[in-house]
Amino acid sequence: MSVVDLGLIYGVAQENERVNIKITFTAMGCPAMEMILDDIRARLMQEPGVRDVQFEIVWDPPWNKARLSANGRELLKMWGIAV
Amino acid sequence: MTSYISEAQLQDRLAHKQLVENQDHMTAQYKDDLIRILTVSADTELVSAPAYYNAARKAPSINAMISALAIIQDEMGHAHIAYRLLEDLGVNKEEMIYRRAARQFKYPYAFDVPLESWEELVVANAFYDRAGITLLGDVYRSTTYGPWKRALLKVDKEETFHLRHGEIWMRRIVEEPGGRERLQRCVDWMFLLTVEWFGLPDDKKKHAGQLDYGLKGSSNDTLRQTWMKTALPLCEELELNVPARWDEATQKYIVTCPFPASFDSKNKRWELEKGATTWDEVMKRWKARGPMNDYYVERIQRGYKAMAGA
Repeated sequence: MSVVDLGLIYGVAQENERVNIKITFTAMGCPAMEMILDDIRARLMQEPGVRDVQFEIVWDPPWNKARLSANGRELLKMWGIAV
Repeated sequence: MTSYISEAQLQDRLAHKQLVENQDHMTAQYKDDLIRILTVSADTELVSAPAYYNAARKAPSINAMISALAIIQDEMGHAHIAYRLLEDLGVNKEEMIYRRAARQFKYPYAFDVPLESWEELVVANAFYDRAGITLLGDVYRSTTYGPWKRALLKVDKEETFHLRHGEIWMRRIVEEPGGRERLQRCVDWMFLLTVEWFGLPDDKKKHAGQLDYGLKGSSNDTLRQTWMKTALPLCEELELNVPARWDEATQKYIVTCPFPASFDSKNKRWELEKGATTWDEVMKRWKARGPMNDYYVERIQRGYKAMAGA
């Protein structure tokens, strides 16, 4: 499931060869934070014309389940996670 | 009083690729086999909590500690799932967790050897959680027991996260001064312990029933190969020495040191200079359990016993 389906991405903007991402996490104690940022960076760097990825981690508005896409919700249910 | 179906009825059900959903679909033998395999899984998940916590206390940063605690929480969730399934089969969960003696727990011997550093924890994630995924992935694909199959989807995804945590940290540590040497010392005792984990080689194994009932899909040796298929490339990538390699002639991964071997659990080293031992000797070592068995079980049972006024 993508972080977009999870509703974590609050903003994406490209400025020449740099992509700026505004991102939140489902909890401040999220243990997968670094992994998620690494994955996003690695994927974006594969795009032609992207040489740098910068993250701004924001906590407002706080993430909640309403931010899940319909697809995200379905996927979680399929995996046995109550939403 | 459970009424079991006949062997023929069960085999017919399985031949039609129908899952077993409850005790009405079981023979007594199926139920026994299922309880045995679920107990190993439940005990393994449960003991990984105190085992990983021991090392998590050495986390190098708060974020690292948070990741470790999340992993431990996941393992307790997995244990809960397995014990709940056992409970549905009529097993007394409270008895199992809080009143069994330490020696009666059925988790692999590897967990009885203490994890005492952050390096040992992340190598455990990379090796032991990989073994967990190998075993549970096999169960997920092939098990004929519906309730467990459905529960494993989530378990598998979480174990994958644990594995990734281990690999990411190993890659990071190898870049630090002295990092590769520290990891090598972990690998030196943990690699073979995980190879051993998959149990007796196929030609010595007794529990054929689990394969006939589809409770398990692949044999011990096949699972061992599956584990090596991803564990070896990781170690090669990080330039860590392991006593195993791909053998072109037999088209298999083979262990290149004396194996099975004697293990000195106090010093965490393999006594390879003694040459190969027998699987009977290994089973004696497993049966006697290792140094942490008493402590980990005591840790798990402490609160319950305190409340019971023991």
